[in-house]
Amino acid sequence: MPTLEPPNVRLRLTNQPENVSLIRTTLTGVAEAIDLPPAALDDITTAVTEAANNVVLHAYQGGHGPLEADIHIAEGLITVVVRDEGVGLHHALDYGLQAGETGEQHLELGLGVIQALAVSVEFDQRSGGGTEVRMEFANPSETLLLGANAHGELELPLCEGSELTAATIAITPARLARAVLPRLVCALAARASFSTDRLSDAQLLADLIAAQAFQSITGSHLGVGIAVGPRLLELRVGPLPSGQAGTAASVLGELAPVLGSLSDDHSFEEAGRTAVLALQLLDQR
Amino acid sequence: MAMASVAPAARRPGVCTEQDDPNELFARWRGDGDRTAHELLIRRFTPLARSLARRYAHTSEPFEDLLQVASLGLLKALARFDPERQSAFAAFAVPTILGELRRYFRDSTWGLHVPRELQERALAVSNAQEQLASVRGRAPTVSELAEYLELGYEEVLDGLLAGQAYEALPLDAPVRTHHEGEDLLTHLEALGSEDERYELIELDATLVPALRQLPVRERAILRMRFVEELSQAEIGRRAGISQMQVSRLLRRSLQQLRVLAHAHAEGS
Repeated sequence: MPTLEPPNVRLRLTNQPENVSLIRTTLTGVAEAIDLPPAALDDITTAVTEAANNVVLHAYQGGHGPLEADIHIAEGLITVVVRDEGVGLHHALDYGLQAGETGEQHLELGLGVIQALAVSVEFDQRSGGGTEVRMEFANPSETLLLGANAHGELELPLCEGSELTAATIAITPARLARAVLPRLVCALAARASFSTDRLSDAQLLADLIAAQAFQSITGSHLGVGIAVGPRLLELRVGPLPSGQAGTAASVLGELAPVLGSLSDDHSFEEAGRTAVLALQLLDQR
Repeated sequence: MAMASVAPAARRPGVCTEQDDPNELFARWRGDGDRTAHELLIRRFTPLARSLARRYAHTSEPFEDLLQVASLGLLKALARFDPERQSAFAAFAVPTILGELRRYFRDSTWGLHVPRELQERALAVSNAQEQLASVRGRAPTVSELAEYLELGYEEVLDGLLAGQAYEALPLDAPVRTHHEGEDLLTHLEALGSEDERYELIELDATLVPALRQLPVRERAILRMRFVEELSQAEIGRRAGISQMQVSRLLRRSLQQLRVLAHAHAEGS
């Protein structure tokens, strides 16, 4: 299997059913950034939803585990990789493929949908356990992503923080982040039962992070971990150079004094050679 | 074959003089495959690309992105230019570079072609938001909206985001009777009649020069949100517009403010 360059987007979730919609939200943002025609987006989201549903339903056989999606955007081609660390999908897949009509019907149907919509699809059982479904789709968009020049192995910035973390995203370049991050943050603010009014504040903060943080981060990818609690949202943004304790300006730029007031609290946390800025939003209605 | 010994002095890499004739450089690049000549052409016309990119510097796009787009246009123009058929490269390059910049803007302003269905959903969500807010006395949550509209969570969220996106809804969207611009201006001018300067400084002294460049209504909204710390719903009530419109205006003026503040920081 050819090795791919680091993805433009890596989204790390867990296998809860409601997380599948976060992958769709992310794809919608990608489509917006590259002006992907709606029909192409529909095909991609339908196939990717099936792959993600398989992880939710089969990969962990009733247990919990990671659900990860990578999105690579190239001229003419969009590649989406859906990955898990379970065993269920592979077993179910083998069983389904060998046993034909007696295999799990949902899985069969899902794989059929993926095969029909993707230009090519590969299933791979990884050596350390888990399954990877790699789907390639035609990219009819002529919009190039400037600055998507990441090389080497992608290390997901350590923005996971607390156990409340619902999603971690690594994304490049800035243009893509500007379309994807506010959507993802809004989707999770909705999950945190924010009123639409506070949800819009979260969106403003995400806008600003996506627009500014690339000037400060130490890697090619902006990493954001998003934790959700009851009327609580926490964004952990990095990787930032360590030793800038106490300043939100590194992530929020010149507007930090104004936008800082949107968040209820912020802190700067050192994590080895890098640091993250943690911003908390509450909805105290 | 040793090439180095026959290379004339004028071909030394990195040497670029005013006297370099673009036509001669084209001949060297296209005819002899001289990559140095190609680089000299790029270097020679980069100021042109830069000046064209600067025409769009007032927009919300970062200048580096614009410069990259213009440089891409320059490369395309260099590749397509035919010295046999066209006389001046600059005359040929300008429309190509501008075309590239325009395409970039067309592509990045998705709000111009939001599907009809999504526009309608955005409108339905906006109306439901106001109805629920007036009943409950606070802005609703997404699940309350979903229940009220009998729509899925994702559909509500899509509608909400489309409505809050930059000009995703026409300014004179149906159903609402007043126009965003006029009403808002009237309301906000009335609200903004106190001495503004003091409050702007309270907002943040370093941002004052940038803030001064924003229109009155944008300043008034920013002040209400960040100095008076009113919620978006409260600002909407005071100004007689929806919370979604407040959200959109805030989003737009913060984008402008960011660009202006950045320009001031660069300049000082």
